[in-house]
Amino acid sequence: MKDKSRYSRNIGILKESDQDLLSKKSVCVIGCGGLGGGVIENLVRIGVGKLTVVDCDTFDVTNLNRQVLSNETNIGKSKALEAADQMKLINSNVEITPIQVELTEENCRQIIAGHDLVIDAVDNIKTRFILEAACEKEKVTLIHGAIGGWSGQVGVSRPGDKLFQKIYPAHENDASVDTSAGNPSFTAAVVSAIQAAEAIKVLLGKEDALYNKLLMIDLSEHSYEVIEL
Amino acid sequence: MKVTIVMRGTLRKAFGAEERIVEVPEGCTVDEALQVIGINYREVRNFGFVSVNNMRVMITDPVNEGDYIKAFSKVSGG
Repeated sequence: MKDKSRYSRNIGILKESDQDLLSKKSVCVIGCGGLGGGVIENLVRIGVGKLTVVDCDTFDVTNLNRQVLSNETNIGKSKALEAADQMKLINSNVEITPIQVELTEENCRQIIAGHDLVIDAVDNIKTRFILEAACEKEKVTLIHGAIGGWSGQVGVSRPGDKLFQKIYPAHENDASVDTSAGNPSFTAAVVSAIQAAEAIKVLLGKEDALYNKLLMIDLSEHSYEVIEL
Repeated sequence: MKVTIVMRGTLRKAFGAEERIVEVPEGCTVDEALQVIGINYREVRNFGFVSVNNMRVMITDPVNEGDYIKAFSKVSGG
C-alpha cells in the first residue's frame, strides 16, 4: 500500500488487506452532479484505485446549492473534467479518467466494460434503464441512488436483479416524475454517502449490502425504511 | 377486514401523512384498497410503487387482514 498513514483512519472498518484490495478496484461513476460528486469524493478519499467519471454536462449556477464539485469559478466547465482535476488534489494515488459524453444505449457497454462496479448517479429514469441493461450484459453490479426533495433511495442491482422494473413500473414516462420538490444539498449528501458505503461493501464482497432491497429515506420525518424487493 | 395505509415521500403532501386504518372487502387488491381512501394510482403523477408489510408488491396483488400498505412516490433526481 502506498502512503500507509493516509489511510490509517480507514482501519477499523477496513482491514489493511481490504485497503489493499480497494486500491486494485475500479469504479465507473455515471453522473458527476449532486449524487456523483459526493460518491466520487468518498471513493477517492477511502482509496479506491481507479475511477472513471462520466458526465456530458457543464456546471451552471443552479448546481451551486448542492453539487460539491461546483463552485463560483467553474460555472460553464465540464463536470467530468472538474471532478478529475479536483480529486487529484485530494488523492493523487487514485487514477481518474474523465469522460465527457452523454450515456446512450450505443456507448454504455463500452464505457462501463472492465470496471468492478458502476454507480448510478444520473438524474432520470430512462438513462437508469439503459445503465442497468448494460450492467447486466457486462456482468457488473450497479449501486443505485436517487433523490427528490426530502426523499432519497439507495439499492444494489446485481446482474439479473432488474431493480428498476420493480421500482419504476412506468419508466417510459419521465414526465410523470414530479420535480417540484427540489433537490437540497443534504439529501444528496446523505444518499451519496450511503451509495459510497454500499460500494465499499460490494467491492469487498460483504454480504450485508442492499441486495434485493431498497432503502427509502425521508429526512423530513427521519424515516429510514428497508423494503424487500 | 382492516388494513392500514400510509403515504411516503411527496405523496404525503398530496394525500396526507397520517396512517389510515380502513375497512376493505375480503380478497381486495392493493389498488382497490387505495381506492377506498380515494386514490386512483393511475391518476397520480408521481406514484412510484407499493409495499405491504415492507415487501414490494404489485398493485394488483391481494391484501390480507392487518396488512400495512405503504405507497411511495417516484424518486429519480440525481
